[in-house]
Amino acid sequence: MHIPDGFLSTPVWAALDATSVVGVAWLSRGASRTLEESRIPLLGVMGAFVFAAQMINFPVGVGTSGHLLGCGLLTFTLGPAAAAVVMTAILAIQALVFQDGGLLALGANVFNMAIAGVAAAWLPWRYLGAGRFRRLAVFAGAALPVLVAAALVLAQLRLSGVPLPGPILGVSLVLFLASALVEGAITVAVVTALEKMHPRWVQAPRHGSALPALAVTALVLAGVVAIFASPLPDGLEKLAEQVGIADRAQSLLNAPLPDYEFHGVDSDWLRRSAPGLAGVVLTACVAFLLGRILVRQRQGGA
Amino acid sequence: MHHVVLERWSRGASALHRLDARAKLIALFALLVALSLTPPAGLLRAAAFLLAVVLSGLVCARLPLTQLLLRAAVVLPFSASVALVSWFAGDPSRAISLLLKSYLSASLVLLVVATTPMPDLLTGLKRLGLPAVLTLVIQFVYRYLFVISEQAQHMRLASAARLGAGGFRISAGAVAVLFARSLARAEHIHWAMLARCGVSTPRPLLARPFGPPDVLFTVCAVAAAAALAILSRP
Repeated sequence: MHIPDGFLSTPVWAALDATSVVGVAWLSRGASRTLEESRIPLLGVMGAFVFAAQMINFPVGVGTSGHLLGCGLLTFTLGPAAAAVVMTAILAIQALVFQDGGLLALGANVFNMAIAGVAAAWLPWRYLGAGRFRRLAVFAGAALPVLVAAALVLAQLRLSGVPLPGPILGVSLVLFLASALVEGAITVAVVTALEKMHPRWVQAPRHGSALPALAVTALVLAGVVAIFASPLPDGLEKLAEQVGIADRAQSLLNAPLPDYEFHGVDSDWLRRSAPGLAGVVLTACVAFLLGRILVRQRQGGA
Repeated sequence: MHHVVLERWSRGASALHRLDARAKLIALFALLVALSLTPPAGLLRAAAFLLAVVLSGLVCARLPLTQLLLRAAVVLPFSASVALVSWFAGDPSRAISLLLKSYLSASLVLLVVATTPMPDLLTGLKRLGLPAVLTLVIQFVYRYLFVISEQAQHMRLASAARLGAGGFRISAGAVAVLFARSLARAEHIHWAMLARCGVSTPRPLLARPFGPPDVLFTVCAVAAAAALAILSRP
């Protein structure tokens, strides 16, 4: 799933490189503030461990075998910020030493696997990791990063104009789904074995702020869905057309973003996904303000 | 471990080896950006120019030509499959562009990595603004990558000798044991560091200031990249 150089168009890799530079700078600052010095060799050795663990094959039936990818396991054992730094280090070494993924595309790979991947691993762990659904949380936290990274890679390739016909898209989605399920099963087995050896190696989910991870997930969802959004009219519009009220509906509802498209913007993708992103940001702002008001009221009443 | 070969290549003494890592990294970035900006119409000329750059770099650094060119070809299976899809989707020019661009970019990266020892490369990256924590973690991952991989191979061999093909649970147990051993190793490293007073940052093998040859090289490379980006426009 490592994108080589030459696949992404310049605006796509440049935007993702810029995002990842800011994200990694922020994460490393957080990591260096909270980490004791003793943890730095730990992070490095864990990165090397993820490389080495890929040599141990897991039989998954029908004559094939899978191996650990490790994003979920790193997140559960090191915590999200440290896991993202380790994933970034692994991706950098893969690009430099193994020619696995390009150097200009490194920002895209870091965004897909180290930033969005770790966020996708951490959210189920954060919310379900302590209770009855612990095993489900481990499974979802290992499988989701694979799916998120795959969806992002496909969206970025499509955005760069690489033709991806429907059947190819379907086949690759099925393959990615299979590898996500395998990764989930492997991680559940490894975490079970680790907990038998030492219960504290797998960290208890700490109730830190989930806001950054939630924000990344929401933005990723809005972006990916918008890129793959069908240009066909949706069900409601179709109904309106058939009943013959489409013209009236148009004049009745003078929406700020008609047809969810920004007009006067050149890029086709930007035109379609900008309203989605704007909607996410707007909804987040409203939710944040509401939360503040509610908290203030409760504090005032108490 | 066939990747150790990079360590041997990067310890050479040619003019390209002796340049500052920052000069090589800036040149690499400029050429990669120029290649990325090349439209399909001017791609063949740009590719010929960059291939000449790679070949002359390899000759100048006295590196084994075929071995390096073959090693850069690890990108081709993935590129070729996507290129094939593009070709059948009716976009042959994109198919050619995917193959050429991914292969040439990988060769350029390999040329720089094969002429710069890892400590110098990391120091260069750090001086160009890579966060210090990330530099240290990359250094540690690279240092212990081969050590722990060897350990994993020994475990695989031992398990094959005892059990033949193991099952799913047995593999999970092996990964968990490897995890435990890695944790113990990290703790030993930490003790050794405490005994030696703190984290050792990567120290470059060539401790030289950014001299006139480095400046000249950087300016030439950036100018070549700019010329490439302008001339390949139709």
